[in-house]
Amino acid sequence: MARLLQIFGFLSVLFRGGTLSFGSLTIGGIVFLNFVARAANSQSDAVNQACLRWIRRAAVALASMQMAYILASTLILMQSADMTISDVSGANFVLAGILAIASALTIAVLASVHLPRNSAVLLLPAALILVSSVMTSHAVARLDFRFPLAVVTALHQGATATWLGGLFYLLIAIPRSPDNQFARQLIARFSKLALISVAVLAAAGFTLSLAYVGSIPAIYGTSYGIMVATKVVLFATLLLLGALNFQIARSPAGGSVIASLKRFGEAELGIGITVILTAASLTSLPPAIDLKNDRVSAHEIAARLAPEIPRLASPSIQDLPEDIYAAEVKAFDAGTLSSASFVPGQAGTRPNTPAEKSWSEYNHHWAGLIVLAIGLLTFLAQTKLFPWARNWPLLFLGLSLFLFLRSDPETWPLGPNGFWVTLQDPEVLLHRIFALLVIGLAIFEWRVQTGRVATEGARLIFPALVAVASALLLTHSHSLGNIKEEVLAELSHAPLAVLGVVAGWSRWLELRLPAENKVRDRMAWLWPTCLVLIGLLLLNYREM
Amino acid sequence: MRPGHRVRLASYLFIGAAVFLMARSVVAHAILLESSPSINTTVAGPAIPVKLRFNVRIDATRSRLTLVKPDASTQSLAISRDAPADTLASQAQGLSSGEYRIRWQVLASDGHITRGEIPFKVTQP
Repeated sequence: MARLLQIFGFLSVLFRGGTLSFGSLTIGGIVFLNFVARAANSQSDAVNQACLRWIRRAAVALASMQMAYILASTLILMQSADMTISDVSGANFVLAGILAIASALTIAVLASVHLPRNSAVLLLPAALILVSSVMTSHAVARLDFRFPLAVVTALHQGATATWLGGLFYLLIAIPRSPDNQFARQLIARFSKLALISVAVLAAAGFTLSLAYVGSIPAIYGTSYGIMVATKVVLFATLLLLGALNFQIARSPAGGSVIASLKRFGEAELGIGITVILTAASLTSLPPAIDLKNDRVSAHEIAARLAPEIPRLASPSIQDLPEDIYAAEVKAFDAGTLSSASFVPGQAGTRPNTPAEKSWSEYNHHWAGLIVLAIGLLTFLAQTKLFPWARNWPLLFLGLSLFLFLRSDPETWPLGPNGFWVTLQDPEVLLHRIFALLVIGLAIFEWRVQTGRVATEGARLIFPALVAVASALLLTHSHSLGNIKEEVLAELSHAPLAVLGVVAGWSRWLELRLPAENKVRDRMAWLWPTCLVLIGLLLLNYREM
Repeated sequence: MRPGHRVRLASYLFIGAAVFLMARSVVAHAILLESSPSINTTVAGPAIPVKLRFNVRIDATRSRLTLVKPDASTQSLAISRDAPADTLASQAQGLSSGEYRIRWQVLASDGHITRGEIPFKVTQP
């Protein structure tokens, strides 16, 4: 049963992510179709049809994800909380989910049969998708100012979907435009819409921060505050890209202008998704304003960040306690741990022992050393003076080997637990999959750097993976009770994640921007800088 | 890259990022702010009022309160319908002296459950 709960817990989180992403795509597409594509002076059937096709796909995907989410969550509640189907069926999240499914299916049907004559009819179900999302937000759960907070949340989410979801449709529409003038018209209209959306989402975000964070010490002292600050930093990066786009859109027409706009749009979309999903992880955290005790102080942060000599030797395996997951499974099977305390996806609540912390620091410091070396080699490679430095991806093989041997000390090949037994532990399995992915990445990128693979799609794999893996770090937050150590851990992970996201997308832009665009040269130096900084931060990572 | 390929790439990125990014986040957000009896306190029996206040509205009809007695047997506590939206209230009757625990389980509006225990001691006046 523990394993089943673990699987459903994992799946429900995946479905939730899918729901939010496809919701943004559906709403953004409908707004784009009505206020950008249809509102242009002339019409393009190819653009309208492509938009409708993707709106339909996004709506069907949203309905499927939402159904799967309700099913997985219902099974979790029935198994772990002894609820019956009738108990669960009237719950708020089920009602909100049904509303989203009905709205999404309505959109899918309308987009197939009724349109393209009157796309305004899609706006109502799009608004209902937004309502369903707000129904499960912090705003609705508050005791005070419930209605105004719900309105502000709707504005915040709606503006985000309009901007970032709409951007996806702009990227689809540009190559299908009948001519450059039409494409520029679309870009100009979307820029105006994006500017309004950005202003609305910033104002709404500020208001929500006042309501849910409330003070400066709560920003750096709680998990919620740190995630909000991270969102703000990523938002600032998006604004920078948006400003570059805006500047280009106003420059005289030229062959490379639209190409540059599309490339910046891709990076903007990628970082935007990271922000949406960071925001999604915020809904699982208690608002900072509710957590008055055990906040981390500025003094504690300064003490944790003070530079120290890296730990390059590990503690003894014998000093490590029993693996938390194994202990929980054992207790569950013995009936001494109720399913109640088995929160799917969470390893446990026992604080780490000093030996475990030392081991973790040792892992991070070796990883930091390897990433720093990679960063320095990429610098050398960019100068073109040291051709051998282009072999830098091979250093990832060292990282993979290190992860494989040392990330789970209790497991095969160096630990006492056998190969098949340890693969049943989801965390070990995840680490092993990561190790394999890193090997694949190393070989792949090495072939790209040394000219063995030249297709553009292949060259984009490395930056895309770096961006995705870095964003993964942002969803590490799971601090329910505001345990100080978890807040401090998040404080160190957040800058790593932001640097990784910037590294991934700056490399993407270096590869994708047209040669005439000067920003490309700056991007060529930005991502190696980020890699060096990531290496240095990892070398100073501490858990005690 | 042709338009079709570009769109496919962008959509793979979108979906892939969504799937991977959400994989590690853990759900649940109702937290206990205060309780009566408080954690590790001593109260006078045999009847004690039980009141748990959370940081958000909770779904009281789908929440549970269970009393764990000194002999480890359990008893469900009826939840009052008149309590404020962020509070679970009940009454435990006929408690003899000893160490008890109240197990609470609440469902928040986003469908996520949180749980906890409040250990306390009962003495007779």
